Amino acid sequence: MDALMLRFLQGYVRETFGAPVWQSVCRRAALPVETFEPMLRYPPGLADDVAAHAAAVLGRPADTIWEDMGTYLVTSPGHEGVRRLLRFGGVGFADFLHSLEELPGRARLAMPDLDLPEIHLTERAADRFVLECRSHLKGTLRVMSGMLTAMADDFGTLCLIEPAGDDRISIRVLDQDHAAARPFDLARPEE
Amino acid sequence: MVLALQGPLVALDSSVLARFMPMHLLLDAGGRVQSAGPTLARMLSGTPLMNARFEDLFEVRSPGGAVTADEVLARAGHRFRLIARNGVRAGLRGLGQRLPDGQMLLNFSFGIDLIAAVRDLGLTDGDFVATDLAMELLYLAEANSAVTRELRGLNLRLEGARMAAEEEALTDPLTGLRNRRAADLVLERLCLTQKPFGVLHMDLDFFKSVNDTLGHPAGDFVLEQVGRILREELRAEDCAARVGGDEFLVLLTSRIDPHVLQGIADRIIQRINQPMAFGDEQARVSASIGIIRSPDAQTDDPVKLMALADRALYAAKDAGRGRAVLLVARAPGAP
Repeated sequence: MDALMLRFLQGYVRETFGAPVWQSVCRRAALPVETFEPMLRYPPGLADDVAAHAAAVLGRPADTIWEDMGTYLVTSPGHEGVRRLLRFGGVGFADFLHSLEELPGRARLAMPDLDLPEIHLTERAADRFVLECRSHLKGTLRVMSGMLTAMADDFGTLCLIEPAGDDRISIRVLDQDHAAARPFDLARPEE
Repeated sequence: MVLALQGPLVALDSSVLARFMPMHLLLDAGGRVQSAGPTLARMLSGTPLMNARFEDLFEVRSPGGAVTADEVLARAGHRFRLIARNGVRAGLRGLGQRLPDGQMLLNFSFGIDLIAAVRDLGLTDGDFVATDLAMELLYLAEANSAVTRELRGLNLRLEGARMAAEEEALTDPLTGLRNRRAADLVLERLCLTQKPFGVLHMDLDFFKSVNDTLGHPAGDFVLEQVGRILREELRAEDCAARVGGDEFLVLLTSRIDPHVLQGIADRIIQRINQPMAFGDEQARVSASIGIIRSPDAQTDDPVKLMALADRALYAAKDAGRGRAVLLVARAPGAP
């Protein structure tokens, strides 16, 4: 989990703020390397540590950085695969929200040792959801919240998405068909 | 195959049937289409379906020999496989049952051809029922390919890092030539393959005085210049290494002609003899080179070969400095 978060953070910071900024983050964190490999293992909690250094270098809270990274993952053309995997979850945004409970199981199918945090969705009303997500990383919930915001956009749904405590996100759907959904073709685009 | 009826009968109208089985085909007793699920109809689009005969729509791949729906049901135990005659690449697999009134109900799935079917037919999630694992299969295929791509990238990056580390471990950082370890490896390999090769063992003359009078930076500068000269005078397939402070070893693959070896050595010495401008100072050194040829040495023991190359170098030094001497002798202890 740390490996994946670190790799995405690296991609986000490098692409958004430039390679030198990422270098100063790594130097400030006294990291022996500047490249994280998503398939390797890193000490648990390292992603939060590095994010704290990124916050100091960028002069903005780590929470905001994680949230923006979540949005970047869904919207950046370089990570189209992430958006596609999420869109497989459902036809509409509510469908998609429910599918998140299956996400760790789906991820395990592809990578058995990838331990995504368990996700629990409670439907309070047709337009009110609470998503619970416990992770050893503080950043996880913020990344999730950024991704949800971007996915709502993807489905053309207008929502109010805000963290409610350390391990919950509250979601209020204001207008399900606010805008046209971005197209999603089941067949993978040719590479 | 008609099963004995058990339990209550359930009547389904065609819209319910279509909802539960979007890829079903209902045939009359004679094998003519009465209704088809929407996804199957989409696959067969362009062909009039109602009352079409099963065998005109499909070619049976298994069970072998079956042509009509009746034959398929009579022979197929668990499943049958078909391909559509309209040219759609994706095959179908299915299961069928003759109903009490004589109609035949067939239900299909794309099986492993799902990915091709989704692409060719432009299917959407609405074409599959919630109980179908189609979405999971598509998801898995994409997730898998992402993981594979990531692994391939990781392998390439690790391989690059390994090669760089390897290169670093075999390179003399000052001159950019190979180091002692690399020269030992090349010599060992040459001895193993038993291909003839020439060896130049070179030692700089007056190097110590450059160090003493002009300082170590000047000495380093001289070594760098010698590295450059060796690189320029040799071919890529030769191995030039700095094996000691001012000691160099050159291994020339497949070159054993005495004139050629002497020529190369003389040219190297001649260039090293040229004064090297180090700032305002002139560094002057020369070089002695002992030359041996592997066929003369009659040994494939690298240690013995090096002992012989040492002797050749001493012979060159004894003959007066700034010379290259070819020593034609057996290695010590060679048969």
